Amino acid sequence: MSRQLTPGYGVDRVLSWLDDRLSGGREVHGGGWRVTTFLLSPAVLLLGLFGVFPIVATLVLSLYDLRYGEGTFSGLANYREAIHSPAFWNSVKVTVYYLVGVVPVSIVLGFVIAWGLMNITRGRALFRTLYFLPYITSAYAAALVWRALLNPQGGLLNALLAVFHLPAQQWLLEPRGVLHVISGGYVAADVGPSLALCCVVAFDIWHGLGFVVVILLAGLSSIPRELEDAARIDGAGVLQVIRHVTLPLLTPTLYFLLLVGTIKGFQAFNSFYALTQSGGNTLGTTENLVIYLFANFYDNGRWGYGAAIATLLLVAIVGLALVQARFARRWVHYG
Amino acid sequence: MGQLANIHGIGGWAFLRGTKGTPTSKARCDDFRPRESRTADPIEYGVRHQKLHVRFDTRRAPFVRQEWPAPCAVPPRRFCEWSRIILCPLVVVFMAVSGCNPAAPSSDGFEPINETQVVFWDRQTTETAKLLEKITAEFNASNDGMAVAIETTGNYGEIYRKVMASIQARRLPAMAVSYESMTAQYAASGAVVGLDALVADPERGISSADLEDFFPAVLGSNYYADYDGQLLSFPFSKSVLMLYANHRVLKEAGIDGPPKTWDEFLEQCRSIKAKTGKFAYAISVDCSTISGMIFSMGGELIVDGQFQYDQPAAIQAFTLLETLINEDLAYQIQARTYDDEVAFARDDVAFTTRTSAGSANMALAMGGKNDSWSLNPIPQSDPAHPATILFGPNITLFTTGAAQEQVAWDFVRHFTSTPVMTEWVLATGYLPIRKSVANDGRIQAYWAAWPSNRAPYDCLETARTEPNLLRWQEIRSSVERAESAVLAKLKTGKEAALELQQEAQGLLDRTK
Amino acid sequence: MKRSLSYIALTVFAGIMVYPFVWMAGTAFKTLPESMGGDLNPFPATWQWGNIATTLAEAPFGQYFFNSILVSTIVGLSVVITSLMAGYAFGRLRFRGQGLLFGLVLATMMVPFEITFIPNFVLITRFGWYNSYAALIVPWCANAFGVFLVRQAFLSLPNAYYDAAVMDGCGHLRFLRHIGASMVKPTLVTVFLFAFLGSYNALLWPLVVTSDPSLRVVQVGLASFLMDSGVRLNLLMCASSFVIVPSMVLFLFTQRYFEESALSSGLKE
Repeated sequence: MSRQLTPGYGVDRVLSWLDDRLSGGREVHGGGWRVTTFLLSPAVLLLGLFGVFPIVATLVLSLYDLRYGEGTFSGLANYREAIHSPAFWNSVKVTVYYLVGVVPVSIVLGFVIAWGLMNITRGRALFRTLYFLPYITSAYAAALVWRALLNPQGGLLNALLAVFHLPAQQWLLEPRGVLHVISGGYVAADVGPSLALCCVVAFDIWHGLGFVVVILLAGLSSIPRELEDAARIDGAGVLQVIRHVTLPLLTPTLYFLLLVGTIKGFQAFNSFYALTQSGGNTLGTTENLVIYLFANFYDNGRWGYGAAIATLLLVAIVGLALVQARFARRWVHYG
Repeated sequence: MGQLANIHGIGGWAFLRGTKGTPTSKARCDDFRPRESRTADPIEYGVRHQKLHVRFDTRRAPFVRQEWPAPCAVPPRRFCEWSRIILCPLVVVFMAVSGCNPAAPSSDGFEPINETQVVFWDRQTTETAKLLEKITAEFNASNDGMAVAIETTGNYGEIYRKVMASIQARRLPAMAVSYESMTAQYAASGAVVGLDALVADPERGISSADLEDFFPAVLGSNYYADYDGQLLSFPFSKSVLMLYANHRVLKEAGIDGPPKTWDEFLEQCRSIKAKTGKFAYAISVDCSTISGMIFSMGGELIVDGQFQYDQPAAIQAFTLLETLINEDLAYQIQARTYDDEVAFARDDVAFTTRTSAGSANMALAMGGKNDSWSLNPIPQSDPAHPATILFGPNITLFTTGAAQEQVAWDFVRHFTSTPVMTEWVLATGYLPIRKSVANDGRIQAYWAAWPSNRAPYDCLETARTEPNLLRWQEIRSSVERAESAVLAKLKTGKEAALELQQEAQGLLDRTK
Repeated sequence: MKRSLSYIALTVFAGIMVYPFVWMAGTAFKTLPESMGGDLNPFPATWQWGNIATTLAEAPFGQYFFNSILVSTIVGLSVVITSLMAGYAFGRLRFRGQGLLFGLVLATMMVPFEITFIPNFVLITRFGWYNSYAALIVPWCANAFGVFLVRQAFLSLPNAYYDAAVMDGCGHLRFLRHIGASMVKPTLVTVFLFAFLGSYNALLWPLVVTSDPSLRVVQVGLASFLMDSGVRLNLLMCASSFVIVPSMVLFLFTQRYFEESALSSGLKE
């Protein structure tokens, strides 16, 4: 260890020279402002330029009625319009349905698979790779396959339904609510998420599952085996072990997945775009916030309005992340 | 043109002038702070420590934990010390980038994105891209000015976004392919060259005789009513909406030939369903197809700023869709797929409506068996006065300075000249956009080889275009929504048409 | 018994996960009409090996691969360095305004790319970086996700090592290089993997900031098969199949670390 730390050559020399320049007195856990600044500068400058600057630009743009540098200042008119627009609230609803569908299901499903993987001895690496494959497959190619599977004419799913003598479905083209379809028309058609939206949700669960499985697998493998064994010796069943030992110890991982899943879920765009042509064919039932702002920003050339939606989206994400952080204190067990 | 430039007004990003991106130092965000810095309870600490200890012991033997650090052992330095260092340069960069921008040209005109070449952003791929390269090379060899460079820039949506971003950056290519609604958007930023003056130029313009050589329908959509009727783009690759008919399926149903009228079309669809049990028609939800149907039913889309979706022709078009779907004569294919082509090639449907430019692909899918299918004019209400819809992009020139604009214009003239267009038409299957091309011997021979080769051209005289309004893109989505509602059996054709009229007119009036 | 049930269930699941991938690889060797048929059997009637040559001839894929791998690797390494430095500062050092600054960093993760891309494009052209490697690389050299992961990793590490190093008269930077980096190595590998994948799979940004074919990346090359009025589906799938090979290889080599690092990422708030 100490051999490594003696001033060496090349990079080490530069670093120790820098260390001397930057040290503001010997401090143990807090660095001096010089070294703090040095460490933060690259990331903060880059993120400031290419991350915060666009946010500021978007905020400013949302106060104008047309484009950057064009049109006139219109104050909060864009926000007012958004709040009074049914299409906007519809896209909020779609986003919420999507989040509620994708995040919990992929975590639960991911947990089941990861749990299964923990209980096998051979081929874990192979399975892990297989489950990760969709994650690195291009969304365009994956969407093509899914559209073939969900094709109302000759797709696999309708063929399966036919085996069970069930009526064929329109899948990605179906704007009716999934409850309406399942209940055979008992529930009104415009209640709940549309069948098309459910197909998009299923696609994204499939596409992101590999990530969830790998993270959960890691979380599970870090739980000391002795704890579970001890619980079992005490006579606990499998479910009880999961409920009282595994899950509590896994809560930090679950929280991490929840947070990342929420952020990603709010920003979902590619799957909607690739599967449903921006929601036009499904009467807006697959038009989430990003698709809605995209349509306004680009297709309709209403940049100020699009920017206002983007700002509201940002506020929603940050708000939800903060709420989750607050609630996390109640259920997440650290250490 | 002056009017266009005026709309632009302030320079790009000027709105950020004076904005300081410094966050206030008072705001705090405790939730992102590490937990232990808020925890004061030593007992809780101990418990946590112990658990961590176990974990690290089992995983990484050499790491022996000794003690958890005391929270915030050192009083934090004052905010302004580091903020001066980190945020000041940031603010400077913000200001430099956003506000004062000495490099940017004054309000009129944009800089060329490439000083030494005349850049053309295009969408062609595969064989047609290679042909375009060849045409460009020939042009460059014969031209002693700057060279034209083709840059393949993705699909139309991607080209649109790239041009929009470039307008904001005030650096543009000399020209790009574009649909009318795209050109209208670009022109709103004052980025588009008005072509009237260039056309009128006695030496390097287009003589009125030559201008008359272009089909009126082809040239017509490039005059923009939103911009005082100026010529803002120039036609390029054109095609029309056609009815593709599968003769194997027709024969199966005992039908001799494709329908001439919409009544006949519906009748044939019914007898195909009755005799073969197959769907007759695959529907792709598309605004342009609806527009074509309305035209062919003797209707208009817009008259004197009033949409015509509540008129009989539009209601008839939507009602036809309703009938087709209710009687199970047709089905809807998934968006942006070529499922209809596939079904057609597999003899699963008798009809599909598509652009004539798709015929080369269809020929591939049909395995070259030309006797089993044909391209036909779409059915009409009045075959004596037929109408269909014209598709296809144009070229838009950008205001990048006289030198670039002149070469770009020379290129457009070269590209649309009779011999080059002839070559282009023969290789790509796009329509001849001028009459003299149609008279070329090679084109005539190509037409004689198979009647379907000629059919699209015969529709050209009567082809019409969608309005090139600034808001047209938005209205397109409304039309497609109305169509989807009918196909999902959520609305009748009439309801959908009437509601569409309200919505479209509302959108149009709002922008006035 | 229970174990074999697990195997069966996992294999069935794996089949569902992998099927589209097999379909993609199989379609790559079909004829065009066969590929367009929407046939669920992934395997072609006769294997069209010639598709590979046709695909490669359509665009300079060699150059594209070189660019993609070069750009993604530099982005990955840069993200590792910037995240290591910033993550260390956020996780280990204490300073006033830390929470606010970290919040701002996280906020950059929360704005959709569709909106940020125009301001960023304007910046790039202002800097004169249009059509250069810098435009492909620099904007992505730091990301909030990386900073976040590294910070979590440092939060979960014991301080004892740092104390020992300080006794030896070691400053922050040399500590970071010799001890800090190796302690959070799994996290750094993960950060590298995701930064690499993000950069490698990006389509719109490379398409917009470059125009020179010698600067284009593989994802842009894929667009060569999407035509104005059709798609060469078999060739597109062929190209897609070999485009994901580098990602797969990278995952195979890094998955061991990946598992270790997720362990620490979840540990701390």
